[in-house]
Amino acid sequence: MRKTLFLSSAIAIVLLSAIPAEAQTSASAEEGLSSANQALLARIEKLEAELIALRASVQQSVQTASTAKETAQNAVKTVSTVQKLAKAGAAGAYSGAPSDSKWHLAGYADVGFVGGDMPGPDSFVTGKFNPGFHFQYKDLLIFESELEFSTTNDGKTTTELEYSQFDIPINDYVTLVAGKYLSPIGQFQERLHPSWINRIQGAPAGFGHDGVQPTSDTGVQLRGTVPVGNTRFTYAVALGNGPQTTFEGGVKLEGVGKDNNSNKSIGGRVGFFALPYLELGGSYLTGKVSGYAPPAGHEEAPVTIAADVPVGSSALDQARYTLWGMDAAYTKGALAARFEYLNSHRAAFFSPTADDPTGVFLPRLGMKAWYGQVSYRMSNVGRSDFIHNLEPVVRYGQFRITGHDVLREENAQDRFNVGLNYWLAPTIVTKAGLEWRDFKVAGVPSETLYQFQIAYGF
Amino acid sequence: MKIMKNNGIWMGSTLAVAMLVFAPLAIAGPDSANAKAKKPDPMQVVRGAKAWKNNCGRCHNLRSPKELTDEEWDVSVTHMRVRANLLPLEAEDIKAFLKASN
Ligand code: HEC
Repeated sequence: MRKTLFLSSAIAIVLLSAIPAEAQTSASAEEGLSSANQALLARIEKLEAELIALRASVQQSVQTASTAKETAQNAVKTVSTVQKLAKAGAAGAYSGAPSDSKWHLAGYADVGFVGGDMPGPDSFVTGKFNPGFHFQYKDLLIFESELEFSTTNDGKTTTELEYSQFDIPINDYVTLVAGKYLSPIGQFQERLHPSWINRIQGAPAGFGHDGVQPTSDTGVQLRGTVPVGNTRFTYAVALGNGPQTTFEGGVKLEGVGKDNNSNKSIGGRVGFFALPYLELGGSYLTGKVSGYAPPAGHEEAPVTIAADVPVGSSALDQARYTLWGMDAAYTKGALAARFEYLNSHRAAFFSPTADDPTGVFLPRLGMKAWYGQVSYRMSNVGRSDFIHNLEPVVRYGQFRITGHDVLREENAQDRFNVGLNYWLAPTIVTKAGLEWRDFKVAGVPSETLYQFQIAYGF
Repeated sequence: MKIMKNNGIWMGSTLAVAMLVFAPLAIAGPDSANAKAKKPDPMQVVRGAKAWKNNCGRCHNLRSPKELTDEEWDVSVTHMRVRANLLPLEAEDIKAFLKASN
């Protein structure tokens, strides 16, 4: 059908262009038309009619074409809308409503094995599961929180609120943080302790539990960055409930739900980029601690540390605690070298007890710790992917305690670690390492531990 | 009178119609397909890539932009802006880079 249409239109075009001269001549002598010419005329008329029909039909095809074009354009629009919706849908299904309030579920988990000649048997360790939640409302604020679930040695599950804080940007250079936050002192706690970031299974001596390093605090922080020329200063200044006295008579450096004295601690860290890849920092924290207050229903008192010290005046029922530290981090490509030093002391004082309100005497407590760590990811060594994923690491550190024999006996040590990590992905690592602990109190045997861990940050 | 090869005409007209229909689509196509909420400024993406490389691997390994969706990057980079004390402009550039590369 269409074939005929095109055929006839082709003929018409050829004829129409060829005929005009002859047609004019014929018109001037119409009456004398030969029958042949009449036949031709009839044919022309027929062709003209066909041409009109053809024009109409072409017109229609043009219309059809433009409708087709419009339809196709609509289809493309629809497809791109569907694509957008699908993407938004996927995002929505995964991370909540894609509107003013956005959220993200993150965190990390690890499991491991520890063996060696430490007291107690070799054991699989369940490790930790730390889900982290981040909720953001427009650019107004972000609320972030992390829980830590772990299993105790008798099989119970413990839950801790690691941090729970509002971050409210005030302007380009200042953000207000309020709540329970990881301590901004030094680098290890705020930046390096999650097991998918930490290159070694445990914390350096003095930077974990019962150490010099504060873990968290409850209060407010102002923090941010001040660009200066080509470099920048970063700062975090915190006003918190501050340290407390532990049951053992040590210093508890953990965020508490409610303070036990009206003195607040003030501290923080200032960082500076000496080179684009070299950050240097200085930290400071000071506050007063009160005596150990047994939790309601518990009558225990702090351990008396030095029995020969005279029971004294209740004027010394609070003591000043001061900490200062320095840190350095050089992180360029595959190489990361880190160093931290922390030094703290708490003045002597009397901690009241249930039995004796004048208290037991707690002598001046001094704690200092440092470590240096170097890790190198072998991503540029050789051609094998296996080798590229390997990362050897060494860490050496010391922890020293004066003024508290029990704490000293348990914790004061030199600690040396060597390890080999294998990265399955940028946030999934398997670690194998050896740890030597050389305790600083005569008679406490040194320990050699072998440690394996798999950690995943999500 | 010699009639032109109908095949040629048919093919030619098909081609013409095809061009008529699809040429505008060929132009409209990539535009509509790229219709992200906001077209990223290429310079911002470049600045973002640099800031990402310089800042985001200081504490932990760099993660692939593909690990998170646009919306998750929005939240996570704000989170990191506070943790790493970044300037808001840097954070915006980094977000633009991550969202253009995921
Ligand atoms: C100052 C150190 C530091 C820098 C710099 C840093 N991060 Fe992080 N990042 C962390 C820590 C610590 C965590 C783990 C948070 C936690 O578990 O509390 C983390 C977690 C993450 C996560 C997991 C999800 C989340 O939000 O917790 C992502 C994704 C991430 N960082 C991306 C980035 C990007 C992108 C940058 C660059 C803008 C960056 N990080 C820069 C320390 C840092």
